[in-house]
Amino acid sequence: MSTIDPRITDVLSRTFKVPVAEILPESTMDSLDMDSLAAAEFAVVLRETTGAELDTGTLTRGTTLARLTEHLRASAGDGSPVGTAR
Amino acid sequence: MRTPAIAITGLGMITPVGNDTESTWDGVCAAVSPARTVPALEGCVIDFACVVDGIDLDAAVGRRTAFRMGRYVKFAVLAAREAVADAGLDPAGWDGSRVAVVVGTSSGGSAQLTDQALVLERRGPEATSPAGVLLTIPNMPAAEIAIEMRATGPSMAPCTACSSGVTALSVARDLLATGQCDVAVAGATESTVFPIAMTGFARSGAAARADGDLSRLSRPFAADRAGLVMGEGAAVMVLERAADAEARGAEPRALLAGTGATTDAHHPTSPHPDGRIARAAVEAALRDAGWRADEVEHVNAHGTATERNDAAEAALISRVYPHRPPVTAPKGVLGHCMGAAGAIEAGLTILTLQRGVIPPVANLDAPAPGFDIDCVTKVPLVRPVRRAVSHSFGFGGHNAVVALQRP
Repeated sequence: MSTIDPRITDVLSRTFKVPVAEILPESTMDSLDMDSLAAAEFAVVLRETTGAELDTGTLTRGTTLARLTEHLRASAGDGSPVGTAR
Repeated sequence: MRTPAIAITGLGMITPVGNDTESTWDGVCAAVSPARTVPALEGCVIDFACVVDGIDLDAAVGRRTAFRMGRYVKFAVLAAREAVADAGLDPAGWDGSRVAVVVGTSSGGSAQLTDQALVLERRGPEATSPAGVLLTIPNMPAAEIAIEMRATGPSMAPCTACSSGVTALSVARDLLATGQCDVAVAGATESTVFPIAMTGFARSGAAARADGDLSRLSRPFAADRAGLVMGEGAAVMVLERAADAEARGAEPRALLAGTGATTDAHHPTSPHPDGRIARAAVEAALRDAGWRADEVEHVNAHGTATERNDAAEAALISRVYPHRPPVTAPKGVLGHCMGAAGAIEAGLTILTLQRGVIPPVANLDAPAPGFDIDCVTKVPLVRPVRRAVSHSFGFGGHNAVVALQRP
């Protein structure tokens, strides 16, 4: 079963006020009603909080949160463990 | 030109004493200032203010949009929602092409500009917000309200420092009078409680320094007045031609009877020494309303608690209104909400007209010797009021006065 990096959930719910119940592995920027400006801000906040490399190619309107989670694990910026136990 | 009667049918407020109109009114009537130390100002010469509290602004604004709004924009959006609902209007059903939005601010998003400057300096351009410009420009309160409410008529942000709110009401009245809209959502907003602005006010000499109980520091018209205490907030109103309001069965809270504006053209911060230019703004508002000065039954004063404003304004009031109408000055409670102050004070004046209650000037036993004015002190004065004026005098010399009438 795929999971979502908790930092993604945290940013979406705290900064963008997306209800936690809507934050699902298959959710995308489009399905979460995040417009292009919101998605760009999301990428900046995520990059600043995780140290991961994120560009507009990585986070498109159709990128699922499961795919984004995999990307964060792969790049594991700042050397911080992203955790496989989640 | 004979202008049509203008009704104020909706009111919304968010202030340091309450996150809506009713709680603001109760707080102002209670005459206790919420001034307190603000953690974000730690280390500043002035580390206290009257701030909006007890509300999760992002959650209240919601809808994945709060991230692109400065605090000043969030205040305005929330006050506008309250005002439109209070007017019994529903943006889902109205003809947005006939709705104007006129919401002023003095400092706009200068706080957010500072935040972004720090991010740029410390973390580089990639770390700055893609919404960085939106977070700072002063038209965004009007724009975000228009977006949310699908208001496609004229919109703008008057910027006349501390009189921006009254200027917005005046512009809204003109848009209605000239038929450019049928509904105007108008007011002002401000949030400038951040280190650079607070340091600037400290250095300007206009701000009160901490001295004992912060809640007693803002003392308009007092002999021992110590300078202004910073506040923040917003007030927004819905204006319509009175005939239109009547046709849809809306009960006006008040009528906007007249406005007057002048400019000192003298000095950026000091009022004109003889006060005649500010007085001309009052006289213009009275002329616009068709009132004699002795018909004014209440003055909601600018009353900043600075040495010069209060001396000049007391002299103005005693000269223009020799019949000594009761005076209040809400900044004793709220602090100086800067660009929003004129809108908030107009809102409070409307409530005075509706309720026959004049709030007291907080922290005042009696006006300073030589101030020949009748300030309401200690407890609210219960007295029917049909005609009232609210004064606003902004940095830069922008004087704006609004005359408000019970329907």
